[in-house]
Amino acid sequence: MDTDSDRDLLSDLPQSIIESILVKVPLVDAVRTSILSRKWRYKWAAITELVFNDTCRTSGHDKSIISCNLVNFITRCLFLHDGPIHKFELNTSYSPASPDLDQWLLFLSRKDIKELIIDIGEDDWFRAPSCVFFCPKLTHLVLVRCELNPPPNFKGFLCLKHLSLQQVIIPPHDIEVLISSCPLLESLTLSYFDSLELTIRAPNLKYLNLEGEFKDIRLENTPHLIGISVAMYMTDDIAEHFEQCSGCNFDKFLGGVPCLERLIGHIYFTKYLSIGNEQGNFPVTYQNLKFIELYQVSFEDMKELLVVLRLIVSSPNLEELQISSSSITTTTDIYDLEFWERDWPADCTFGKLKIVHMTDFSGLPHEIAFIKFLLGHSPVLEQMIVAPTVYVTDKVVKMLIDLLTFRRASPQATVKFIQEPL
Amino acid sequence: MAVVKPEMKSYIWLQTADGSIQQVEEEVAMFCPMICREVLQTGMGSSKNYAISLPQRVNPAILGLILDYCQFHQVPGRSNKERKIFDEKFIRLDTKKLCELTSAADSLQLRPLVDLTSRALARMIEGKTPEEIRETFHLPDDLTEEEKLEPLRNMTDDPRIRLLNRLYARKRKELKEREKLKNVEVEEEQHVDERSVDDLLSFINGADEDSKSARATKSKKKNRRRKEQARNSSTNNETGNHNQESNCPPSSCLNGDTGDVPSPFKPSDLQVSASVKFSPKLDFDDGDIDDELDPAMKEEIDREVEDFARRLNSDWPERMQEILSLGQERRPVPLSVNGNGSLRRYTDFLPWHRGKCFYVLPCHVTPGSLVLLLVKLL
Repeated sequence: MDTDSDRDLLSDLPQSIIESILVKVPLVDAVRTSILSRKWRYKWAAITELVFNDTCRTSGHDKSIISCNLVNFITRCLFLHDGPIHKFELNTSYSPASPDLDQWLLFLSRKDIKELIIDIGEDDWFRAPSCVFFCPKLTHLVLVRCELNPPPNFKGFLCLKHLSLQQVIIPPHDIEVLISSCPLLESLTLSYFDSLELTIRAPNLKYLNLEGEFKDIRLENTPHLIGISVAMYMTDDIAEHFEQCSGCNFDKFLGGVPCLERLIGHIYFTKYLSIGNEQGNFPVTYQNLKFIELYQVSFEDMKELLVVLRLIVSSPNLEELQISSSSITTTTDIYDLEFWERDWPADCTFGKLKIVHMTDFSGLPHEIAFIKFLLGHSPVLEQMIVAPTVYVTDKVVKMLIDLLTFRRASPQATVKFIQEPL
Repeated sequence: MAVVKPEMKSYIWLQTADGSIQQVEEEVAMFCPMICREVLQTGMGSSKNYAISLPQRVNPAILGLILDYCQFHQVPGRSNKERKIFDEKFIRLDTKKLCELTSAADSLQLRPLVDLTSRALARMIEGKTPEEIRETFHLPDDLTEEEKLEPLRNMTDDPRIRLLNRLYARKRKELKEREKLKNVEVEEEQHVDERSVDDLLSFINGADEDSKSARATKSKKKNRRRKEQARNSSTNNETGNHNQESNCPPSSCLNGDTGDVPSPFKPSDLQVSASVKFSPKLDFDDGDIDDELDPAMKEEIDREVEDFARRLNSDWPERMQEILSLGQERRPVPLSVNGNGSLRRYTDFLPWHRGKCFYVLPCHVTPGSLVLLLVKLL
């Protein structure tokens, strides 16, 4: 079919294509298409994703004017919009006033909203209005810096798959209820919570991301967890709590996650797991665990070392291990180096371990012994990468020599020593 | 186009909208969800006669491009970087081809290709001025002046557009004011009818003395609004007044005569209802009154009305008997729509038509007021 070269190329495409094009341009440009031609007048108003971020701000220096303009723009866009809105993202450093935000959220709750992302300003926490809790089709909720108070008749988000709360103020009991009332929840992220004792019951949960000051974390009903990433901060309060708590944290946390594939722990995570951990007790094997990353592991604390060992011994299919050593050097105790010969079975092998990455290595006796242990029990090891910490410069050569003398079980293992340039 | 190697490969036959048939390697073709579904569900495509017919938006040239894409990406071993490089090169097409490709990929449900081409098209829209976009995509600049006058909902700091917005705003304001003047006149017209109905209703409903004055003031208020209208003056005013005032006294008279009044009217239901039928059509022009009567005139009018009311009440029973005795000729009271003129005619015939079917009313009783009275008496 010959078309005349002046024929309109774009306007007659189906709305689904127009939408997929318009959502890939900044919203301001999408709105501007309304003056292109008659057919384009309201094409932008039917797109189902609205993303308001810093591309929508006017230039200028007066914060209140910019904020005011942004509020007007959002209000007008919502008012002119026609049809369902599936995604609304507000990502700006300017805090719109509460009445505006409440009205927008009320409007969105009537428009079949599925994805809601609100990340605004750094001044005040905004109070989420109750209409947020009555968006029945919500699948994706991200809230940053807000106050959440679920109303008493809140029955849960029945379609929610992804929940991310960062710096959110919510009564501790309500957070547990919120999590357990979302039956389809697959991904949970909680950041910067204070002194929280958390029990998570989420039968479909696959990805868990926790960061903050947690006193206690219990995974009670999470059989499908695939990825866990935890960063635990410490306060005096929590330290005390650690002294007093009973029961094995390792079991409470990692006792019910047989499908785990990836585990990442930061800061005091290994310390947390070490509490109540009994040596030589490995009830659970993690058949799918392939990647372990542990940061700030203190190789001077025998208990933490035991946790690490327990983890790697319980993961027969482990492929990649990354350990970063804590740079806190406490008073030097007598290192029980006999431990390695005596307590550890010589026949344990890490049949799939291919890559080991040790960072912030400071040449502590147990660190060196650990590397030796790994080298000697990993028949398919390909790379052992060691990066010393910047604080230790004098012992580097000695360490290097020691490392190279260790017996390697794997013929193709290479030991790389990476020195960060100062 | 897929390279045909003389090996044990299976092929899928595809037919484009123009009738031409192509033979494609199975793995390449199955990369498209739509083709895949067709093969699995209907078993088509296995031979030339049973070629899968592709949607209309896929022409042979575009199909070739799509198959190139599929052929590259269906190979599992490629790295992400390789794929990205291929994609970047792949979408270096002219705009027309790109649009056709997007459309075709969408109809074949090949989502990754739709995303890729949409991104390319999005790049052509982002940050460009409307003129540039129109040129790129051959869009007609067909917004009328009026449409352009509606405010541009754009957050922009382009000073030219801001200036344009201001000009448009001013023009809009002017248009609106012009329209407002038109609307005012239209509104007045509408009020005429509404108020007359209201009057009618209130007349029917409110028979008590208390609401009398309220009604009077209400109708007065409504009439005040109509002052601006260019309406006929004197005769209307007078009759209008009577209309208004006559609402009140007959009821008081009636209250006294309740014994007499209702019964004779039963047979007259026909007549009254007939005239009531007329009422919505009647042009209550008479309704508009100039409120500023001087009191002397007012008194005179009052007297006349009372007089008339008495006459009406006393005459009616006899009249009714007369009319009933005539029997057949039950014609509705011949009131014409344009009240005053025709009534005068009837008044002229006054002596002749006594005794006939119709009752001739004094000239200051307009059709509107008559109807109101009759309805009230009902």
